[in-house]
Amino acid sequence: MKGLTVFIADLRKCRSHEDEEKRVNKELANIRTKFKEPSINGYNRKKYVCKLLYMSLLGYDVNFGHREAVELVDSTKYSEKQVGYLAVSLLMDDESEYLRSVVRALRRDIHDGSEWIVCLALNAISNIGSREMAEVLTSDIVVQLLSPAASMFIKKKAALCLLRLLRRFPEAVKAHQWVGRIAPYLGHRDIGVTQSVASLMTALAQQYPEETRKAASFAMRRLKSLVIDNEYTLDYVYYKVPAPWLQIKLLRLLQYYPAPESSEARATLLSILRHIIDLSQDVPRELQQMNAQYSILFEAINLGIHLDIDQGLMQECAVLLGRFITSRETNVRYLGLETMAHLAAYIDRLDSIKAYQGVIVQSLRDRDISVRRRALDLLYSMCDVGSAKAIVSELLRHMAMADVALREEMALKVAILTEKFATEYGWYVDVMMRLVSLAGDHMGDEVWHRIVQVILGNEELQVYACKISLQTLKAPVCHESAFKVSAYVLGEFGHLIANAADSAPIDQLKALQSKMTSTSQSARAVALTTVGKFINLFPEIKTLCLRVLDRYRGALDAELQQRACEYYALGTLEGEELLPTVFEEMPPFPERQSALMSRLLKREADTEDQRTWVYGGREMNRERRGVTSGAASNDSREAVAESSAMPVPATGLNDASSGSPAASKKGAQEASPAEPPTDPLVAKSMRNYARLLWENDGILFDGEEIQVGIVAQYKPPSGRLGVFLGNRATAPLYNISITARVADGSQLTIQPAAGQEAEQPETLMPLAQARMFFDIQCQQVFTAAPTLHIGYTVAGCAPTVSELQLPVTVGHFMDPVTISVADFFARWKQLGDSGIAESQHVLPSAFLTKDAVGLEWLRSVIGGMGFALIHGADPEPNNIVGVGIATTQAGRFGCLVRVEPKPTHGLTRVTIRATNVEVAQSIGGNVKMVFESR
Amino acid sequence: MIRFIFVQNRQGKTRLEKWFGSYSDQEKQKLKAEVHRTVASRDQKHQSNFVEFHNNRIVYRRYAGLFFCFCIDTNDNELAYLEAIHLFVEVLDAYHGNVCELDLVFNFYLVYAVLDEMILAGEIQETSRSVILSRLEHLNNLE
Repeated sequence: MKGLTVFIADLRKCRSHEDEEKRVNKELANIRTKFKEPSINGYNRKKYVCKLLYMSLLGYDVNFGHREAVELVDSTKYSEKQVGYLAVSLLMDDESEYLRSVVRALRRDIHDGSEWIVCLALNAISNIGSREMAEVLTSDIVVQLLSPAASMFIKKKAALCLLRLLRRFPEAVKAHQWVGRIAPYLGHRDIGVTQSVASLMTALAQQYPEETRKAASFAMRRLKSLVIDNEYTLDYVYYKVPAPWLQIKLLRLLQYYPAPESSEARATLLSILRHIIDLSQDVPRELQQMNAQYSILFEAINLGIHLDIDQGLMQECAVLLGRFITSRETNVRYLGLETMAHLAAYIDRLDSIKAYQGVIVQSLRDRDISVRRRALDLLYSMCDVGSAKAIVSELLRHMAMADVALREEMALKVAILTEKFATEYGWYVDVMMRLVSLAGDHMGDEVWHRIVQVILGNEELQVYACKISLQTLKAPVCHESAFKVSAYVLGEFGHLIANAADSAPIDQLKALQSKMTSTSQSARAVALTTVGKFINLFPEIKTLCLRVLDRYRGALDAELQQRACEYYALGTLEGEELLPTVFEEMPPFPERQSALMSRLLKREADTEDQRTWVYGGREMNRERRGVTSGAASNDSREAVAESSAMPVPATGLNDASSGSPAASKKGAQEASPAEPPTDPLVAKSMRNYARLLWENDGILFDGEEIQVGIVAQYKPPSGRLGVFLGNRATAPLYNISITARVADGSQLTIQPAAGQEAEQPETLMPLAQARMFFDIQCQQVFTAAPTLHIGYTVAGCAPTVSELQLPVTVGHFMDPVTISVADFFARWKQLGDSGIAESQHVLPSAFLTKDAVGLEWLRSVIGGMGFALIHGADPEPNNIVGVGIATTQAGRFGCLVRVEPKPTHGLTRVTIRATNVEVAQSIGGNVKMVFESR
Repeated sequence: MIRFIFVQNRQGKTRLEKWFGSYSDQEKQKLKAEVHRTVASRDQKHQSNFVEFHNNRIVYRRYAGLFFCFCIDTNDNELAYLEAIHLFVEVLDAYHGNVCELDLVFNFYLVYAVLDEMILAGEIQETSRSVILSRLEHLNNLE
């Protein structure tokens, strides 16, 4: 395309940005006129769309040309179609109005007679991957993947297309329908096909571990044929290494499955791993070959660690890794440290790693910050009670020299290790005070908050903490965070040391005051509260305290002024009761996962394929995998894991079952809250009803004579409900009537849709079906469910009227809303603080076994109820959080949900918070019913 | 999975950008600038080809004046992607006949086609140089 080349050359010649802009604007105007010409031919259209793409890639706002892109897609020429699809993927977003025509074109192209057109369509789906494509095209893609007539290229692309859609819209692709048919393709003779299928399989393995179990043996066999039997074609040899990327994918896929049971399979796996390790003994000269070989070796070690079936192999791996971390190649040092952290996450005895502690500490000073990071991660992972002191002091020593970018993480890790492995109280306080002084500028408030929480929770710590706090305040320099901790601690426990030398109340106040002027507003605010508390603790220095407060009553900062005024007023109040009540000692903080920990874990959880391990050693990995018994050896640690695994909810307003998980478990076994129905027919209709709480279409009632189906569509605050009545009897039904009723005073109307009443048939023949549509309006939040009344007569019998509860609740008038993770937690907290509109249930959920199917089901339930799931918001990957807005004519109600499954306990906690209490309770009740009828 | 692929020159001009997730225009601009700052300032001789980037990692390699950067997950195999970069460069080299920066500029729309034959949906699709090249030649001859 000469015109395009000339245009790009023109732009490159522009001396200044202004020149370039001028040229761009001229071209945009030109293209606009050209596009208006009716006679524009395909070649020119392609050329102009390419020019638009180029401008858009340079950062110019190009907001037209979408129609022309679609026209190119409809062209019969390959090159035009290609540019068309490229333009669609680069220019359009998910909301574009033209996307619908693109889907139509894709539907056509995916079945085109020429193979390359099908490939273009598959490329486009992978690149765009919108929701509609997932809904409309998945089955076509599956057909292409499985069809024996499809070429290798089609198969590869179809597999990755499915992967893209599966990752983005797991509920829309209905993977359970085809998941079982994919695994055999791991044995496909074409390496490209296997490569792509292995990627798809890895994602499926995480969601459907049971259904995909066969994949493990397929992967193993394929690996064996590559590594041991040398079965591959020469075009897949990369610098003398056969298909390195496929080897890696398969080694990685196997890490999502447990070690095989059969000794034969174990032996095969071991021989593969051994083969790979032996092959890497001689290091090749050529960089590419070395990298390819090492990339396989590291993945093989990872698999070896994961399988953990041969002690000898593990020892050998440890030795190899020990060699790597001193390698001259920076990349190898980096990967050696990383993989050693994986090893530390699994092995029982850390001795083989501790032997390298000196080298690892040295690596904190490596020339490359990436290597320094890995060294930090490894030290964090290999730390145990025995080595904690040494490692923590090394880290503190490095803190002052460490890069700014690394300091925050280092501080977090030191704080976590110190808390976890402290055996002496003094050590904890000393380390933390040093830590906040050293790294205070580089860490979030979580660290000092956590220190205060720990001190409040441990009585034995408090006297020593007071002494150190006073010392800190008296020192010539005192870091801001250290000041805050000290001020807080003295305010709470200053009286404990008031009788010691130089620690009288007056000394404490003076020490505080001396540093107060040189700190920030927020630190001064903490100090003012301490002064307020001093009035309560030490009446003897009340006047001095009041003087300090008085000085801040005129502070410019609103927060300081308010605190000073309020505390001053409290201190000068006549009655003596209010002051001690307000400044009563803080209760210990409820035991819950440390904010420090969640912060670290959240950062690591941001991966598309789940991590199979996390930094932080064996204990943490075990906790994460949810193993609580069996191979467990260390009892006391186990107990800690147990107690923190499912924190008791802090608020429990609704029902007894939210009290503690243990209580509710008992309750569920002895007398279930909802009295599980014993009559199979009733149980079945309850199941039907519950299903319609999260799915729009389904059977509501299935009896001997009639069957009732529901099809619902909601456009909050209205909706349309289709009722399908089928005759299952062998005789005709007469005098049919279908009516819907709402409870008296309910703020809901259900009326037959226009013209429907007239259409109702009087008689229904066997196997025939009658239907009736209703319009629904939700005026205001309602609680009583509407009912459906179906009347009919069978010849010779008295008329029958069946009354059925309709699955229409306020929760059905909810639309998903997507908000950011930060917003979610802000609102979650905000709603939680108000406390009233919360509904919480701890529900037995034995069906949620550890596999992903149960969780997947749970996600579709919550999504089906109208919540937008916010992925990756919750630090615990299994937890589900979502947001929706329920709309009534009178108003809209925001609604948040958090579901915390604990498969190991067989329990799930479901919390709904909404801006309206009835909404929260109604939706909470729905979730409960879905659980109980499962 | 690969989050995005950039090819940038030493001045920070992005010659190829391929996104495998959805990002707003604003985020894209920011990420391109950040990646350049992170990668260009690193010592090519004594530092690894990997660097932490937000919650992900960048694997990169420099060829003449161009940085090829893949942004991947922290649990991905770094070396595998480092060699994928090399394979990509080899393919481009053979396709354009000794590729240079200007080839990428003037044939930007073709580079996407090359990429579509090798990497799709953020995963590696095809790793055989000869398979990719003969396929590209075949597609080039279509009208």
